[in-house]
Amino acid sequence: MAKKEMVNPATQPDKKLRVKDLIFAGAFAAIYVVVMLLIVMVCGTVPVLYLITPLFVGIVCATIYELCVLKVRKFGAALILGILFAVTASSGYLPGMFIAIGVALLAELVILIGKYKSKKFFLLSYLVFNLNMVCPFSNLYLNRSSFMAMATEYYGESYANGVAALATSWMPFAQMGLAVLGAAIGVLIASKLIKKHFEKAGIV
Amino acid sequence: MDLTFYGEDVKGLIRVDPRTKVLIFITSSLVCVSSYSDIGIAMYSVVLCILFALCGKPMTALKASLALGVVLFVRAMMGNSKGAPEVIVMVLTLITTSFMFAFPTLMSIYFIVKTTRISHFLSAFQAMHVPVKAIVPVAVFFRFLPTVTDEWNGIRKAMAFRGISLSPVQIIVHPWKTIEFILIPMLFSSMSVMEELAAATMARGMDLEVRRSSYEEVKLHAVDYLLIVLFAAMFVLAAVIAQMAKEGAVL
Repeated sequence: MAKKEMVNPATQPDKKLRVKDLIFAGAFAAIYVVVMLLIVMVCGTVPVLYLITPLFVGIVCATIYELCVLKVRKFGAALILGILFAVTASSGYLPGMFIAIGVALLAELVILIGKYKSKKFFLLSYLVFNLNMVCPFSNLYLNRSSFMAMATEYYGESYANGVAALATSWMPFAQMGLAVLGAAIGVLIASKLIKKHFEKAGIV
Repeated sequence: MDLTFYGEDVKGLIRVDPRTKVLIFITSSLVCVSSYSDIGIAMYSVVLCILFALCGKPMTALKASLALGVVLFVRAMMGNSKGAPEVIVMVLTLITTSFMFAFPTLMSIYFIVKTTRISHFLSAFQAMHVPVKAIVPVAVFFRFLPTVTDEWNGIRKAMAFRGISLSPVQIIVHPWKTIEFILIPMLFSSMSVMEELAAATMARGMDLEVRRSSYEEVKLHAVDYLLIVLFAAMFVLAAVIAQMAKEGAVL
């Protein structure tokens, strides 16, 4: 398999996304979303943990994202991942969904600066990409009254009040900070794991 | 839940077009976040279960609706019993709420996965002139959700065989190790599945930039139009109920 990977770019250096790349992007998106949902479900039970999920998701999901972009190495991998993430994670609130897609596009631009060759920029792009974890919460910041009505109906007074007390005006920025911090830790883990397991196997 | 990779609806009484199924998925996720009442979601979920049964998966539908019934019963009971300890009420509320909240979306994803063949999915959206580059990732995404679950079960068994437990306690005590033990095998085995999938699509000529012909019959039937109207109506109804609940009506 490693051999095939080495021959392919040499014979036909193409920048276009082939069906193979689309399959990789779609499949990694499925893994990403499943892992992300698992984390959110576990953390969702406590208001404080619920609000700092971007941190945990960043730590765990970085490896999946990095493997996806390092495997495909073309324009579009991060974007497809971002779109599928946005559609499943924040489909309930349209502005949030579009922000999430925009964030994915920004991450794609970061990779573009590295010309799809520099590993550093591949790794850095996740710091931007993970900001999309804040988007499912945008409902809470931009559309507060309806979110509160929902939380009260679903989780009861005490939970809703807990979330409301924590969701102050600086909270979105704190969440963004946490998202970047989580992503930074995650990227460190990811680069180690990828070096230890996947580069040795010749996969990326 | 047994998850087979390839959805099939030949045994079903009705065949639903993949486009209708995707519309149902979108409606479901909208209903989840815009409806604030149990009644709206319960009604919606029951219709979803009936549809599941009609499409040839009566056992799945039965299991899902039984689970839904139990959760609704618990919720109704909680409203009536006042003397219960605070902690139990809190925990039960959280569990039942997560269930209610996730049920329509997960059920409709499961519906797509269980009853749609990938080739049917592809040809239906190609008939709508959606570019292949947009369809393939979405199709693979839905195809891969059960695979991830399956891989996860396999990894858990393999790790148990080697005496590594993946219990919550272990995850808290050794977070770094757990990430490595779960994520790396999962990515490795998923990646080989991806390679095979890519080879299979290559062999079918998906990489060519010509219009593909298909044996699949692609047409919206009367059933589809009926379902589209039905789900649109239910969405509006759920929104109306939500509005009423917001204004303080007791339901």
